[in-house]
Amino acid sequence: MTSSRLSNQNRVTLRRTIITLLFLVAALVIVVGAASLLGSERLPVSNSLCALTTLGARQCGLTSDHFDILFQIRLPRILLAAAVGGSLATAGAGYQALLRNPLAEPYLLGVSNGAAVGTMLALLFFGSLEWSRPLMAFAGALVATFAVYRLARGRVGATPERLILAGVIVTTFLSSIIVFVTTMMDATRIRSFTFWLLGDLSGANTGLLPVPIAVAVVGAIILTLNARSLNLLMLGERDAFDLGVEVSRVRVTIFLIASLLVGSSVAASGSVGYVGLVVPHLTRLSVGSDNRISIPSATLGGALFVIVADTIARTVIAPRELPVGAITALIGAPLFIYLLKRV
Amino acid sequence: MFLNSSRFIKSLSLLLITLFSVAACTRSSAVLNNPSTNTRRITDDAGREVFLPAKVDRVISLAPNLTEIVFAVGAGSSLAGDTTYCDYPVQAKNIEKVGDTQHPNLERIIALKPQVVLVSTASQLEVFTEQLRSHNIAVFVTDPHDLEGVFRSIEQVGQILGYVEQATAVVSSLRARAMAVDNALKQSPRIRTFYQLSAEPLYTAGHDSFVTDLLKRAGADSVTANVPGAWPKYSAEAALAARPDAIILPTGGSMGEGNGTVAKALASSPAAKTGRVYKINDDHLVRPGPRAVDGLEEMARVLHPEVFK
Repeated sequence: MTSSRLSNQNRVTLRRTIITLLFLVAALVIVVGAASLLGSERLPVSNSLCALTTLGARQCGLTSDHFDILFQIRLPRILLAAAVGGSLATAGAGYQALLRNPLAEPYLLGVSNGAAVGTMLALLFFGSLEWSRPLMAFAGALVATFAVYRLARGRVGATPERLILAGVIVTTFLSSIIVFVTTMMDATRIRSFTFWLLGDLSGANTGLLPVPIAVAVVGAIILTLNARSLNLLMLGERDAFDLGVEVSRVRVTIFLIASLLVGSSVAASGSVGYVGLVVPHLTRLSVGSDNRISIPSATLGGALFVIVADTIARTVIAPRELPVGAITALIGAPLFIYLLKRV
Repeated sequence: MFLNSSRFIKSLSLLLITLFSVAACTRSSAVLNNPSTNTRRITDDAGREVFLPAKVDRVISLAPNLTEIVFAVGAGSSLAGDTTYCDYPVQAKNIEKVGDTQHPNLERIIALKPQVVLVSTASQLEVFTEQLRSHNIAVFVTDPHDLEGVFRSIEQVGQILGYVEQATAVVSSLRARAMAVDNALKQSPRIRTFYQLSAEPLYTAGHDSFVTDLLKRAGADSVTANVPGAWPKYSAEAALAARPDAIILPTGGSMGEGNGTVAKALASSPAAKTGRVYKINDDHLVRPGPRAVDGLEEMARVLHPEVFK
């Protein structure tokens, strides 16, 4: 009786998950298509759509310049935006579920800054090795995550306030390291760094593009597979343990995967703020707090959010550009204030 | 407890009295010096009226181009301090350093007792102009947007330091070289050129940059000449769509070998395909000083090899 009701519920959840995700995937396809048609250069719409639907197999009457703009510049950048947005939102959703804290977010927790310090050190010491950047960023994110977690855990456990306070401490500490390192650098490097620190997707056209995409997909899948444990963890660690959740294994998994997600996106694009905060909240508001739906929805929603933000960043003062982080913060900061008032 | 707090109040008032008397001293000395000696008046590039003493023989330069100008007009002996970026001419390296252009050390500037501080842009000016003024140190801002603006900077520095004739001579020889390039290129077609200040992120020279004027004089048609700002971050697709026939890479000077390759997005541009990518010593192109004319000649030579054999 009980088991049949449960499986029935599961079936309902499964159907809802599939419908929700199909809807979001359709929205993503439409937004990617629209973003590919928008930019400082005007591309002929029907020819571009033709080329996009054949995935670049045919030129469809596009000039070679337009073809290059579409497939060498715009599409890689949109894919990177999707990967970065998906990664950050997934990581945010993971942190929020695991830490039972609605304000947990890679940027506010200092994890983004940890990854940024890692990337800078990689650039300073192994400048020519492109691979060192995501690896060092991952290491930096991991160190920052554990530092915040340790600092936040008092005798009464990690309260939301303690966690955010710990995040602020770690963030400012790492910021001072970043300032110190940039002061040591020459003037041309400082310029690119300040832009990169604000979050910038214009470096999408590199051989490393598959890395953040693969990390985003794999990370989202692993976190979704842990969604049931995360649901039970919402009841509290002790209750979850009694219900058979291997709490410490889940915690290590989430921390590792979230750090990997943040590390790969920061190495590729700098610190794009507020995505990990705003998107999981919006998806929870619309699809509910069952992590089996809300985590993959956050992944797709994050991709949508950053694609839209970056399209604004590269068109609003075209042919000049803004850092995408400025746009996400412009949208995210007011929303953060709104959420703070609700907590 | 009570005793402690009273001691605290005592020491606090002592501290305050000391501070006030120090402040009063500096204030009174400033008042004594200021109006009688600072008789000359000169307008800088920020549109400010700068008051100077009749004779200026101690100056600090906060930018490498200004250091080069001071030496070029023969006033190197007046230079009391410069920045860690100032490496040309070689004598500039031995001048007392006051930090770099972004982070000058105010205390050291004041300790060196200059009469004037030369600044290259208006950035961070608000912060220290007031403090320097209270020490009777004038701040002179230069912000040239074209080669004539660079010449004006040279003449102004000459005027400030009392080397007017030398400055005039420097400017007229530089102007003659620029005119020679102008004359040589009269019949030449203009070459569509993209100036890549840095590849990632992609920065270029915009409307307000003196480099845009240098490019024009070098027979180039800069594809970003009308983009607002001096050094805008530029859309890669706009750069590719502009189909530049030549790309200039400022690199290889004191900033090192960075920016030595064309941005990946521009790999299929006509310039990259035909190999018309030219590295120019960035010290000649990012410093609006006397060597800007070297940069002009170098660009003209690579863009129009048929004219300059």
